[in-house]
Amino acid sequence: MGGAPAASAGGRCERPPLLPRVAASQGGGMLGKGVGGGGGGTKAPKPSFVSYVRPEEIHTNEKEATEKEVTLHLLPGEQLLCEANTVLKCVQEDSCQRGIYGRLVCTDFKIAFLGDDESALDNDETQFKNKVIGENDITLHCVDQIYGVFDEKKKTLFGQLKKYPEKLVIHCKDLRVFHFCLRYTKEEEVKRIVSGIIHHTQAPKLLKRLFLFSYATAARNSPATDPKKHAVMFDTLQDWCRELERTKGNVKYKEVSVNEGYKVCERLPAYFVVPASLLEEDIAFFQGRGIPIWCWSCHNGCALLKMSALPKEQDDGLLQIQKNFLDRIYKTIHRPPYETAKTEDLSSNFLSLQEIQMAYSKFKQLFLIDNSTEFWDTDIKWFSLLESSSWLDIIRRCLKKAVEIIECLEAQNMNVLLLEDNASDLCCLISSLVQVMMDPHCRTIFGFQSLVQKEWIMGGHCFLDRCNHLRQSDKEEAPMFLLFLDCVWQLVHQHPPAFEFTETYLTVLSDSLYIPIFSTFFFNSPHQKDMNVGRESQDSQSKPLNLLPVWDWSVQFEPKAQTLLTNPLYVEKPKLEKVQRKGTHFKHQRQLSLPLTQSKSSPKRGFFREETDHLIKNLLGKRISKLINSSEELQDGFREFYDSWHSRPPSYQGLLLPHLEGPEIKVWAQRYLRWIPEAQILGGGGVATMSKLLEMMEEVQRLQEKIEARHHSQEAPQAEAASPQRTSGRLSSLFPFALLQRHSSKPVLPTSGWKALGDEDDLAKREDEFVDLGDV
Amino acid sequence: MWWGGRGQSFNIAPQKEEPEMGLSGPKSVEGTGMPEPRSRQLGSCLASGGLPGEQILAWAPGVRKGLEPEMPGTLICSNLRVTFQPCGWQRSQETPLSSEYDFSLANIGRLEAVNGPSRVQLLRPGSLLKFIPEEILIHGQDFRLLRVGFEAGGLEPQAFQVTMAIIQARAQNSPTQQYAGITLSKAGQSSDSRKPPIPLLETTEDWETERKKQAARGWRVSTVNERFDVATSLPRYFWVPKRTLDSEVRRAFGHFHQGRGPRLSWHHPGGSDLLRCGGFYTASDPNKEDIRAVESMLQAGHSDVVLVDTMDELPNLADVQLAHLRLRALCLPDSSVAEDKWLSALEGTRWLDYTRSCLRKASDVSVLVTSRVRSVVLQERGDRDFNGLLSSLVQLLSAPEARTLLGFQSLVQREWVAAGHPFLTRLGGSGSSEEAPVFLLFLDCVWQLLQQFPAEFEFSEFFLLALHDSVRVPDTLTFLRDTPWERGKQGGQFNNYTQVYTSGYSQPLAGNSINPQLSVWDWNLRYSNKQILQFRNPGYDPEHCPDSWLPRQQPSFMVPGPPSSMWLFSRGALTPLNQLCPWRDSPSLLAVSSRWLPRPAISSESLADQEWGLPSHWGACPLPPGLLLPGCLGPQIRLWRRCYLRGRPEVQMGLSAPTISGLQEELSHLQELLRKWTPRISPEDHCKEKNPNTILSQSR
Repeated sequence: MGGAPAASAGGRCERPPLLPRVAASQGGGMLGKGVGGGGGGTKAPKPSFVSYVRPEEIHTNEKEATEKEVTLHLLPGEQLLCEANTVLKCVQEDSCQRGIYGRLVCTDFKIAFLGDDESALDNDETQFKNKVIGENDITLHCVDQIYGVFDEKKKTLFGQLKKYPEKLVIHCKDLRVFHFCLRYTKEEEVKRIVSGIIHHTQAPKLLKRLFLFSYATAARNSPATDPKKHAVMFDTLQDWCRELERTKGNVKYKEVSVNEGYKVCERLPAYFVVPASLLEEDIAFFQGRGIPIWCWSCHNGCALLKMSALPKEQDDGLLQIQKNFLDRIYKTIHRPPYETAKTEDLSSNFLSLQEIQMAYSKFKQLFLIDNSTEFWDTDIKWFSLLESSSWLDIIRRCLKKAVEIIECLEAQNMNVLLLEDNASDLCCLISSLVQVMMDPHCRTIFGFQSLVQKEWIMGGHCFLDRCNHLRQSDKEEAPMFLLFLDCVWQLVHQHPPAFEFTETYLTVLSDSLYIPIFSTFFFNSPHQKDMNVGRESQDSQSKPLNLLPVWDWSVQFEPKAQTLLTNPLYVEKPKLEKVQRKGTHFKHQRQLSLPLTQSKSSPKRGFFREETDHLIKNLLGKRISKLINSSEELQDGFREFYDSWHSRPPSYQGLLLPHLEGPEIKVWAQRYLRWIPEAQILGGGGVATMSKLLEMMEEVQRLQEKIEARHHSQEAPQAEAASPQRTSGRLSSLFPFALLQRHSSKPVLPTSGWKALGDEDDLAKREDEFVDLGDV
Repeated sequence: MWWGGRGQSFNIAPQKEEPEMGLSGPKSVEGTGMPEPRSRQLGSCLASGGLPGEQILAWAPGVRKGLEPEMPGTLICSNLRVTFQPCGWQRSQETPLSSEYDFSLANIGRLEAVNGPSRVQLLRPGSLLKFIPEEILIHGQDFRLLRVGFEAGGLEPQAFQVTMAIIQARAQNSPTQQYAGITLSKAGQSSDSRKPPIPLLETTEDWETERKKQAARGWRVSTVNERFDVATSLPRYFWVPKRTLDSEVRRAFGHFHQGRGPRLSWHHPGGSDLLRCGGFYTASDPNKEDIRAVESMLQAGHSDVVLVDTMDELPNLADVQLAHLRLRALCLPDSSVAEDKWLSALEGTRWLDYTRSCLRKASDVSVLVTSRVRSVVLQERGDRDFNGLLSSLVQLLSAPEARTLLGFQSLVQREWVAAGHPFLTRLGGSGSSEEAPVFLLFLDCVWQLLQQFPAEFEFSEFFLLALHDSVRVPDTLTFLRDTPWERGKQGGQFNNYTQVYTSGYSQPLAGNSINPQLSVWDWNLRYSNKQILQFRNPGYDPEHCPDSWLPRQQPSFMVPGPPSSMWLFSRGALTPLNQLCPWRDSPSLLAVSSRWLPRPAISSESLADQEWGLPSHWGACPLPPGLLLPGCLGPQIRLWRRCYLRGRPEVQMGLSAPTISGLQEELSHLQELLRKWTPRISPEDHCKEKNPNTILSQSR
């Protein structure tokens, strides 16, 4: 918080015309000083030419605020826990601060600020409004850090407080930053709200106390939508069966139900798929550990498998048993009809969870900006700061690992077996990435949601622990799913026509991670979910709880807003063609790069494949080892595979590889920059292009409808279907998120600064509700 | 020198050329056996595309590498350029030069010969090739890369010859040299005449038309520099306030550095004027009348005058040059920077930082111009580099018509070419130490705007690339001279220039015969019609069309008396000035360089806030129509990859990122979709007709 009070105080004489109002260029520290109301404003106010708020004004404001007050919207089952009045929400605008009076409440679902400005929304702005989470709402799980400002010093708040802060700063996991000034709030209310917020967001919680359950109980009678409409849930044998059929993996792999009722293992889903020749009793041998579990089959029959490591044993006897067991398993999967398998050990030689967590903590700090001065300061060193967080490098390494595995599957015709301690972190990440790149089905919305359901939810990714939803242990926290979404974003960004969803889809999906009315991301395993839902149902009524999956986007967004989640430029799969091979369809693509588009199969590749196959066979005589992993030849093979793919025009319905070079991995600007007003470009950004395209798409669709109508000889002159609504005014580059921010920062001064200077009386007539917190 | 002189032995004129001649050169000297058919083919190829006065010095068959698939062809070195001519490619008569296969000698930045994995020789002018190369790499200063592998099998001497010839030709090449006698074919002309020509601003008429277009009613075209006796670096004509006499102009200009007094750059439709001038010539001792003349010219009839210290917060020439060199080193395909260190290396070049400062300053100045009716004077000591950059950027930000293809080209012509930006010196042509690619920095800024506001520009990224690549191609004089005076002299403007041009050319243009000189804007010299079509941005969808200015009431123009307020704009803030000129009593603030003073902390508040009392991000209302305020934050300033990383094979292909040129591809998908939809429906049609296109047009 490097501010220079002198600069603003002395501003008048040096640069009169520029300062219609003195702006405090510093952050929270300057707040509250001198306004002379409530708390301990002991310092004498510095002389300055603008005094925005006088104590008596505050009083009137308070009255007005209560009159206009917005009612608190509670979800079914949501309970108000504590509240405080006359809280001032401070809005950062470049270097000045404005405040809006309102009520700060804390429920068992969210922290909400109720200002009086909600009515100001017009159509455009409400277009992307979230129906569950309002603009000033923070779900309890979305709270990342809470700071208190004491005498201009910012401190982290936790546990029991001896002294209560004059200002509350809340950093959210979706990177919003809220400043609530408590200076004018009654002392007992301050105590209640601050300790309430701290307790409900930071104290360890029991699973049963999640809002999820209160909501589901209260909304029990609301009509349940069929989750199958939005994604394959993979909670029945048939789902797995169909997936095997879809990928033509059913020849060599079979779905099993040994774990029905979680008899064998609590970490595994009730149904899953294993190699057909695997004995079912082997599955139970180590409670599902050491078993190759099928993830996905490639068009050439090669499969991606995963396996959780056996428990580490010291005892020689036990080790021997383990060894024999593994030998038996390996023999099963190395014998024909199975392709030779390469083991990819993700627990060693690759990223650790700590590394990922550390990188992300550093990275997100770049975007959690308390005040804009801070932001400008970091700006000069932007690239080196970004690099030192190494988050982008981690993304690169994940993408690269996925490409390496694809090379094995696609070019070398090998199976790949992912190995990890629990097979539920990096396994989920890498295997889903491989599928997004190889299987065009996973690039549709339905396919992507099914993929997440299959690899992450049924794969037993510990969302509770990794997101630290229960605040039980910081050590387990690691943003694995976010990392996955960021990797997918890189792909979406590099090859937009290949995906049915947009980056906005990914952004709202990442936000949904913290909304505890959806069950999807609030369990550690399917077992845990079933146990908790089942028991509840026996207690109260016969009907089991109806937990909402996140995949039904109509819960959060109106249809109009949902259109922003789908990519209008998605190149759909042609209906007739079954075989997806690179370069066979979409001849119209990339006609621009004329002389180069000639696709030819690289003769070297075939030659190379034989050569490495030979090598692998030699090596396999001994044992599968990491040796293969680090082998020089394979590195070259990877390079060649990568280069040859990129030298040809991409087929959006075939294999899709990312660019991995330094300049190609980028910051997911929509997610990370969307709340930073300075990052906004009016009328600019990709949005401008997108809106033009959407408009054209609508036009095309409208014409199509007309044609259709004509063909059906419906002469009746239908009232012209509402012609595509041109969004009025210039959108900001941060659309659709920026507009949410916009109206809350409504300007105080519609007049030009010149006028204000010429007529100082105007200052007194300033709008009432908005209070400038200058250095008064 | 055995390769010397050989070039003179055969001279290929475009019209008549026997294949034997192309063959005889190498044969007579070397006597190496050369495969007959290939040579014949080559001969006819060359015959079709040679320029008048072009001499083939050497050639060798080779394969262009680094692209997939590799392209067989011939590497040809002439006294004008290096060309890689792919097999079967015919130089079209309409485009005598090729943007794709030609490397002008001046553009060669680095030449390397490779033999095997370990033998690499960097070839400087005058160096001797130590081995027979398997491959040569030509790194263009425009970031292009030509990588040619030579075939073995008895042809090695040719590979050696062509490489030595390139070294030699590069050493002898003078940057001021121009491809002589290029004519536009008639076909090219006819297509050109459909579009409005770019005014070259070499006649009073051009200036007058332009002035009327801007509705600058208080201004007139001054002919005081018609003979270049006020300043050779100034154009012959420029705009001065209507009431200022030419004698006053002459007197006033004498008190500015190199005679570059205040002239109008652009008249804002809201009434403000953007002026540019050189630094005050402080050593002069003007009398009272002179001071009054200077002041009234700066004031330009406004009661409010802001002097902008252009260089404040901007890099100096040496900074720009160093950053560009670093950037080029970083973007070489074999750059040794590790992938995970790429970002800090990029930051270390400071190029993006400089881009950012230019944009930020331009954004501030456009706010000054737009927020009030006033006179804003850009002042740079030389008035030939950053004044042009800033003034062009300000116009791009505030004038929608400058964002059209035509408007942008006339903008560059006016603010850079006519205003006397020393292109030759800055691009390293004159060998002086003042090399600094200020113009390329400007193009980068424009690209940043293009990617921030993809719907507001009529031209595409491809157009910017074309302009970027044109600065070193010696086809026209536009970028090959330092001043309008030199350009005019060379172009024969003052002589009987028609001699330079081949007969039959000037006749059909009788109505426009004042200026038959070719300029860089004659794109069909180097670009095919198909490529020129790509200059247009398909996503152009301006929020405010150029003619939809809200006419504000123009204040009565000439305000009598001295200006009521005078400001100095520097470090993001306005400081009051007591006087505009430094001579009267105390030394002016301008005399003190403010570059090293820190920007006050308050300045994080953007000028837009200060001027309007509103935050810049607030919304659509406070911004006047047509004004763009660019984002200048770290994450928003990007690397122009399609330009700088062109030498890297991985970037050459497969980028479908949502850039403007990516949009073109996406649009074709869109059309494809439309085509797919239509047949799906038409089978249901009973009256077995019709062309989908007619359906669409009818239903409209």
